[in-house]
Amino acid sequence: MTVLEIMERAGMKETTLAIAWMKDAFHLIQSNVKEHTKSEKSNIIDGIREYPLPADMIALKSISIKDTTDSKYKRIRRLTHSPVVSEDTDPE
Amino acid sequence: MSYDTHKTWFYQLVGRDIHLWQYVESNATDTLAGIRISLPDEYYGKQLIYPDEDITNGLRVEYTALIEPFVDEAWESLTSTISGTGLEFVDGGSSADTITDTGSGFVTAGFASGDKIRIIGSASNDGDYLLTGAIAATLTVATGSFTAETASQSITIYQIPDEDTTPDETNHVNLNRMLSLAVVDYIKAQLSDSKGELERKEYYMREFWKKVGDNESNKRKISITFPSGPFSLR
Repeated sequence: MTVLEIMERAGMKETTLAIAWMKDAFHLIQSNVKEHTKSEKSNIIDGIREYPLPADMIALKSISIKDTTDSKYKRIRRLTHSPVVSEDTDPE
Repeated sequence: MSYDTHKTWFYQLVGRDIHLWQYVESNATDTLAGIRISLPDEYYGKQLIYPDEDITNGLRVEYTALIEPFVDEAWESLTSTISGTGLEFVDGGSSADTITDTGSGFVTAGFASGDKIRIIGSASNDGDYLLTGAIAATLTVATGSFTAETASQSITIYQIPDEDTTPDETNHVNLNRMLSLAVVDYIKAQLSDSKGELERKEYYMREFWKKVGDNESNKRKISITFPSGPFSLR
């Protein structure tokens, strides 16, 4: 459906505002259903714990780690509690 | 060497960061001739540790984003597609890269210069590309796009809509018809909100979510069966 057709159906005349609201609607849809997904890969570095979430992420679908014995990505589980850190060489 | 990563790795979300933890139940380890060995005299027990190895492209995050919200053509209008085992990828070196078809069916299938295509099923060239030329036996893309691959695997190439980053009234929203109608309701809700008509706004937001929900239901085939009681009258 074109932008113009959506504007006509909604009875709207300002194109710039209509496009902004369409992006908002797209954002809401992507927040609640996985209509369009993408993936991003990054290197894991020995001794580094923090890795940034993708800057353009709306909703997280899954996190996987590569199993180098069979070169497959395997989905990992989320920790529900913070682990007790008894020894830390890089305290925050 | 990482193994059974689905059992031995965990994550935690902290603000905008992912914290990775590796589960170990072992002694201290060392690598000998490329093989990880445990050191028997240094038992650590069960614990979570920071990642203790380098893995190239080891972390994969799947997520939703504002992915190409406006495109130049509607998905429903795109019909160009070709499949077969006669498709070959040619690395043109300093010249443009090409795909050749032994059946010379590209133009018949509807491909034309300027189309955006998606390739699936190849050994090393899956992805999205922009066509710079299209004749019956050859599709041309930018230099450096392909890895050479002889015809053997079953490959599918189909057209996808190209994103427009500066949308205007002629562009299409990158959604199917049901979700496009949901967007209409969302805009009506926002218009009502700007006029202070809150009940009307609520009505249109309900319609918006109803259509989003219907769209999800349309992806599922659900059958419902009712057991009949042993003494039911017919």
